[in-house]
Amino acid sequence: MASSELDIVSAFVEGAPPGELADVIADIKALTMSSPNIISQLGPAFEKYNEEQFTTVKLPGSSQSVIVSSHNSLGDGRYYDVESSSSFAFNHSTQKASAVQSYVLESRQADLVKSVLKSLGDHVKEHYPNASYGVYPINNDSEIAIIVAANKYSPNNYWNGRWRSLYIYSPSSSSLTGSIKVDVHYYEDGNVRLLTTKPVSASVSSGSATAIAREIAGAEKKYQEEVNRGFSNLSEGAFKGLRRQLPITRQKIEWDKIAGYKLGQDIGGGSSRR
Amino acid sequence: MAEVDQFDSALDLLRRLNPQDTSKHLDSLISLVPSLTEDLLSSVDQPLTIARCRKTGRDYLLCDYNRDGDSYRSPWSGEFETPLGGSGVGGVDDQGNNDGAGEGAVPSERVRKMEIRANEAFDVYRELYYEGGVSSVYFWNLDDGFAGVVLLKKVAAPSGKSKGNWDSIHVFEAVDRARTAHYKLTSTVILSLSTNNENLGEMDLSGNMTRQIESDLPVDDDTSHIANIGKLVEDMELKMRNLLQDVYFGKAKDVVGDLRSIGPLTEANRDRATHQEMIDSMKR
Repeated sequence: MASSELDIVSAFVEGAPPGELADVIADIKALTMSSPNIISQLGPAFEKYNEEQFTTVKLPGSSQSVIVSSHNSLGDGRYYDVESSSSFAFNHSTQKASAVQSYVLESRQADLVKSVLKSLGDHVKEHYPNASYGVYPINNDSEIAIIVAANKYSPNNYWNGRWRSLYIYSPSSSSLTGSIKVDVHYYEDGNVRLLTTKPVSASVSSGSATAIAREIAGAEKKYQEEVNRGFSNLSEGAFKGLRRQLPITRQKIEWDKIAGYKLGQDIGGGSSRR
Repeated sequence: MAEVDQFDSALDLLRRLNPQDTSKHLDSLISLVPSLTEDLLSSVDQPLTIARCRKTGRDYLLCDYNRDGDSYRSPWSGEFETPLGGSGVGGVDDQGNNDGAGEGAVPSERVRKMEIRANEAFDVYRELYYEGGVSSVYFWNLDDGFAGVVLLKKVAAPSGKSKGNWDSIHVFEAVDRARTAHYKLTSTVILSLSTNNENLGEMDLSGNMTRQIESDLPVDDDTSHIANIGKLVEDMELKMRNLLQDVYFGKAKDVVGDLRSIGPLTEANRDRATHQEMIDSMKR
């Protein structure tokens, strides 16, 4: 029973909306008062959550947020950031960074990483009011991981949102593959969630940092336009097909005469009963 | 006190976790804190299930209010139907009546008569607004009046790759007063929409919203109750449909735009600055 209890609360952690991990942890604490040890066993769940969500964190004494992911993990709860040439310890349950040390990237791909960082930075600053980004060599320097994470939290107005993109660029095949995910939570007198995911796949023949950043910028612009089209299609299509705003007569029902309405004849202008 | 806190925490958690999986999370919460089972099942709305009435062949909706163990009462026949194919009158006591909802409650003869009329009325309402779908109304007795739930469900006909599901759950109390009745209505709409295609990938927009109103309305006889409840539900659904439209297609879209700007921010900032300059120059 104990392990299934842990599975249940781990699933709650995994489902925490953007910016609401602390609220979810508080609820879990209240619900597991009879097994107070359970929070201390949630370390792996918190780590998985932060690494998958590309949690952003401000380093002590810095105003710029950096990313936490499996791609910049040094193990033992430490992560590194190329831009600031630093590594840090990350507490997965409080989401705070500490013990910052200088970190010099040593990699065959160090030059590509730094130039992609610069080109990507121009794109990110031009389209994201509040985003963190990172570029890291992965798989024994055979590929680089490119991450963009943008958060906007407005808990006082009951909404929070996150945009995260991950791209893997392979210099040997010049291929760029990845995914864009958007997560929006609105919870005033209700619980409404937008969840999207879009795989991205492209070829960057020149392999230059500017070409990689241009490809990402193009894919993200096109995707955002598609999402906006998706909103219109759902609004005009599925939503309208579920419930009319008013009956086809454009009049509200005369409830005093409801017993006299005959289905399929007097109402709906003959178009009822599809 | 501890239990009250746990109930609030469970509801808070359900308000945060993916609303698509509310039923799964509800099961998890119940296995985590079994003492919350009844409170959670009676206060958390889940998508409605459709069953077919064996006696009349008409579809009806299942919820906690027409349930007796594994059996559910059909609003068309008034009888409980067991999953094994039997039927019965439910948990009626020696005097032939039973207060409250669920646990095999059946309405008194007078309230059942109103329930039959309400089912006929909301069947018309369903056709006028939903042009399909399923409706069910269940009433039960209260000491000083009666209460009920109006249920409506529609699954959008599949068009392309888009899917849609609408569930309305309107729970009300009608407390009798001299020549009027005091109505208290709590309405929840569960709306799930999703679409996918090559360029868009997967897009899921789902959730639920709840609103409450109270109202005093004149009552001449039992027919007035049906008309009053009908008007209250009709007005509430219109309001909620507009609200859902604002949140799903306005607010959610705006937040995406807040996260990422399609146009360059320097341009947007320049436009804003120009705009501000114009305003300033007009002030002079």
